[in-house]
Amino acid sequence: SSAKDAKSTSGEDDSRDIVQQKTQEEILFHEETIDLGGDEFESEGNETVSEDSNNFVDKLNEQMMESVIISDSPNNSEDDTGELGCLQEIVDQMEAKDNQKTQAEADKEEFLSNESETEHEETPKDISEIGTDDQASLKEDSIQEAVKEEPKLGNNVPVETKPNNVDENTPEDQMLSPSTTKPSSEAEPIPVCTIFSQANNANSQPQLFLPDGFEPQMVKSPSFSSIIETPVKYNPQVVQPSPSLSKFFGDPVNTNTLASDFFDSFTTSNFISVSNPNASSSVPEQMSSLSNGGDGSSSNPTFPVQNGRPEAGGPPSSLEITQSPKPFSQIQAVFAGSDDPFATALNMSELDRRNDAWIPSEETRNVLISVATQQYSTVFIDKENLTMPGLKFDNIQGDAVKDLMLRFLGEQAAVKRQVLNANSVEQSFVGLKQLISSKNWRAAVDLCGRLLTAHGQGYKKSGLPASHTTDSLQLWFVRLALLVKLDLFQNAEMEFEPFGNLDQPDLYYEYYPNVYPGRKGSMVPFSMRILHAELPQYLGNPQESLDRLHSMKIICAKILENLEQGLAEDGSMTNITQENRQASVQLWRSRLGRVMYSMANCLLMMKDYVLAVDAYHSVIKYYPQQEPQLLSGIGRIFLQIGDIKTAEKYFQDVEKVTHKLDGLQSQIMVLMNRAFLHLGQNNFAEAHRFFTEVLKIDSSNAVANNNAAVCLLYLGKLKDSLRQLEGMVQQDPQHYLHESVLFNLTTMYELESSRSMQKKQALLEAVAVKEGDSFNTQCLKLG
Amino acid sequence: LIFAVMRLTKPTLFTNIPVTCEERDLPGNLFNQLMKDDPSTVKGAETLMLGEMLTLPQNFGFSKLYGKGLDYLYVLQLVFSFADLQTSSQRLNLSASSAAVAELKPDCCIDDVIHHEVKEIGTHILVCAVSYTTQTGEKMYFRKFFKFQVLKPLDVKTKFYNAETDEVFLEAQIQNITTSPMFMEKVSLEPSMMYNVAELNTVDTAGESESTFGTRTYLQPMDTRQYLYCLKPKQEFAEKAGVIKGVTVIGKLDIVWKTNLGERGRLQTSQLQRMAPGYGDVRLSLETIPDTVNLEEPFDITCKITNCSERTMDLVLEMCNTNSIHWCGVSGRQLGKLHPSSSLHLALTLLSSVQGLQSVSGLRLTDTFLKRTYEYDDIAQVCVVSSEIKQ
Repeated sequence: SSAKDAKSTSGEDDSRDIVQQKTQEEILFHEETIDLGGDEFESEGNETVSEDSNNFVDKLNEQMMESVIISDSPNNSEDDTGELGCLQEIVDQMEAKDNQKTQAEADKEEFLSNESETEHEETPKDISEIGTDDQASLKEDSIQEAVKEEPKLGNNVPVETKPNNVDENTPEDQMLSPSTTKPSSEAEPIPVCTIFSQANNANSQPQLFLPDGFEPQMVKSPSFSSIIETPVKYNPQVVQPSPSLSKFFGDPVNTNTLASDFFDSFTTSNFISVSNPNASSSVPEQMSSLSNGGDGSSSNPTFPVQNGRPEAGGPPSSLEITQSPKPFSQIQAVFAGSDDPFATALNMSELDRRNDAWIPSEETRNVLISVATQQYSTVFIDKENLTMPGLKFDNIQGDAVKDLMLRFLGEQAAVKRQVLNANSVEQSFVGLKQLISSKNWRAAVDLCGRLLTAHGQGYKKSGLPASHTTDSLQLWFVRLALLVKLDLFQNAEMEFEPFGNLDQPDLYYEYYPNVYPGRKGSMVPFSMRILHAELPQYLGNPQESLDRLHSMKIICAKILENLEQGLAEDGSMTNITQENRQASVQLWRSRLGRVMYSMANCLLMMKDYVLAVDAYHSVIKYYPQQEPQLLSGIGRIFLQIGDIKTAEKYFQDVEKVTHKLDGLQSQIMVLMNRAFLHLGQNNFAEAHRFFTEVLKIDSSNAVANNNAAVCLLYLGKLKDSLRQLEGMVQQDPQHYLHESVLFNLTTMYELESSRSMQKKQALLEAVAVKEGDSFNTQCLKLG
Repeated sequence: LIFAVMRLTKPTLFTNIPVTCEERDLPGNLFNQLMKDDPSTVKGAETLMLGEMLTLPQNFGFSKLYGKGLDYLYVLQLVFSFADLQTSSQRLNLSASSAAVAELKPDCCIDDVIHHEVKEIGTHILVCAVSYTTQTGEKMYFRKFFKFQVLKPLDVKTKFYNAETDEVFLEAQIQNITTSPMFMEKVSLEPSMMYNVAELNTVDTAGESESTFGTRTYLQPMDTRQYLYCLKPKQEFAEKAGVIKGVTVIGKLDIVWKTNLGERGRLQTSQLQRMAPGYGDVRLSLETIPDTVNLEEPFDITCKITNCSERTMDLVLEMCNTNSIHWCGVSGRQLGKLHPSSSLHLALTLLSSVQGLQSVSGLRLTDTFLKRTYEYDDIAQVCVVSSEIKQ
């Protein structure tokens, strides 16, 4: 509704202008009333007095818009130029800081990338798809070339392989790949390798085997037949509605270099997956191999590995699904006990099990069981039960800040606005993180889309079978979470839709026994479930949110119950050490708490305050360390209802609780609560006093600063209020260019002076320097 | 010269949309860090939706007015402003400092906050006028109108129930017809001078009075609550209670509520009026009657007979038995003269021959002056049980 507001304000302005023009020739002391028809305060006609005034004022306004910032003319109020000057200073400062920061960020990222490499777990691959001698030799060729290529590139990647996972060897595998040979560098008898980059930059791995080995298996849906016939497609054939993407795919000749920029880790997988769980296992492999190639032109078997440029940190994804193909005998040698059904289970990391645990519905469980028991025959699964996501829209990339700058500050200023976009960062998780942390969420959504396209789940892929990996789901999670963060709820809902209730069998690891042997649980990150459950409430359907949250709550409780009974999370009989059990209980308790939190938030949104308060109370049980904050929050709920007495009671409870703690934080909390209480009693002077107290303890407290300023406004001290807010924005624009602060500031500007437009534009400049493309420009009310 | 007016509705608390992730998810702790860095979240409990940041109301409803012909070069020497509020029925002067005389330097401003409790529904017009003198001695004047609607916040319906005694029960249905929840701070009935009031909206349990509305202390939009009050005529009026005819004033409801951050609202109803039940010329009311009696055992009731007419009556009492009720004593006895507004008490004995809830009927009063008979049936009910059960 702020847009509406802005509109009505401009409407007002317009009407004023009209009135002014009308009254131009009119004489003193007459009145005119125009009812704009709103039920709120609306501006009416206005009147004046002086003869040729109208023209003059209009002119005056126009002139001032440009002149104030530039000129130091004594005519201009010192006050205002001062303020504006300050803002400009901020801009400068911020620019300076920004530079420093990017440096720091870069450092940090390098650090991160290292971390991320070492962190991820390796997943063993089966090599069943590499069947023929032909293919093997082709592969060898390519690898040799790749090896040759490496020194040239200068960012050699030493490949270190670690014994890690047990590969489940199936007879089928043996039959299929009896003669696979291995290049020397991968000669270690272990199926998985981890790359440690020498520099900070790790290159993607050399291509290990060729995708041609892909042997499509039976696919039940007739619509896929064409795909099966051509297991490998050229990238350029992919439908890419986005101009940005088509850049990468449009020209087959340039594909190599361009795409290598793009796909250091992911590829456009044209292999639309396969509904047969056994067959589908090959797809991730396919992708991993492609990603290693880094060029996406997988159809060319002799194409050398070419890394367009050094890239920081190969994303975990490629590593996770990467494997070195091995002669089967070797693998068997290493995992002599692979016949042992428990071998794989033992190997499954405790962490994985703990985190991925989820209890499928009865129906899904049955499918998963049949997948597990009928490994070698095709399990037919209804298409309805498969998750077939795809991007529903493309390229929401855009920069509202820049648009506004173009509109109000001119092209020159707009050019200065530089934000990262999906093209300017590495096309990997690292780049994604960079975009997120620099608050360029729109670009990040875009990048997620590209990476998903590489996973074969791009635009218009919805409804086509897909194979899921840990990474593809994580990417979906990030994309959807960012959409929610950007308030693009409808878009998020659209893209969430193919995921159903996140319980389809192909979202479980058990569905891909060959890709994730022995791994159990759900691929869907828990946070994604939360997101999925919370989403409907933002779209006006909180009841649905509550339903979803309740079913999540039931499963969390069930898992905790299983743990208490000495079972594994999913209720299976697995031995878990006491330590691990403890950790698991802790994790699931906090997850259950998170669900309760969401419920409480949802109930609050529904304005069902009684239940919301109850829910927040139960959250305290799961997060006892948050008790003071939660009690304060409950107090504020009562304040919002208007129940001052109960609010006071809760605030007193907070004081009791924090009494023992005696930290700065709790001291602030107590003062803040007192201030709010006075606010509820309409005592703005006292409220202001307490907010100021907080500032004495913590002068950089944004909330106290802002709230004190608001109090001043209600005390009729507009100028003081403005001074406080502006001072705050100057002090640390990094943090205080917050939507709510800016909204307050622009509102006051509008109230304060006829030159609000310039001041708002000054704010826009400050924002342009500091904020990413996710900035919500509505709060500037530049309409 | 700019003249700006705004309506100071209370600020609201900023709510954020928490998006969290776990350590092992792709963004790592990025999302959580973003939320920590967001100044509008609650530190230490970022997932809590309700933040602490105050934001000014969206519909601030302010408006600006420009005095024309003024450059910032001019020094205003005199500012005279006043604000009036005009409603359909009256014109109020709001500004306390209406005669404020001040010199307004360039780019300075005078801020004033005016409080006013709106008492009427409907269109209001706020009239703001400023007159001033510029440095050159030119007299200037402008004024501006702000029109706004005051909507009804509550819908109040009342219902009266007359008890057999002189008590009156008042049921008040209060509905919140605004769009925000309302905390009902006080709902009370201020009785007129004739009545004492007892509120029946709490239940005493172990010395603690508990609201009949439970823990829900607020009214959601469109929610309705029923409040119940019992009114008893004061002693000095009780005497005349039988005589009260026509419309009487009961009292008025005083409702105080609070909404967002303690924004206060108050509503007083006009005097609630009740049509006193018509009793005819002669009113017969019961003073005492047992609730349960034994079958075929006599019991006593006390009646009060009041002359509500303007003339003196000479009354004869007749008692007619019904199927179940049998009167004891002499029927057709003289009660003597009864002056206007005076009453007499009468003890009667009767018994019931049928079990169950029986209606006391069959009393007849005849005014011998006018030869007019008044019939009183169903004046009360008693529960008749067999004597074994009662013991």
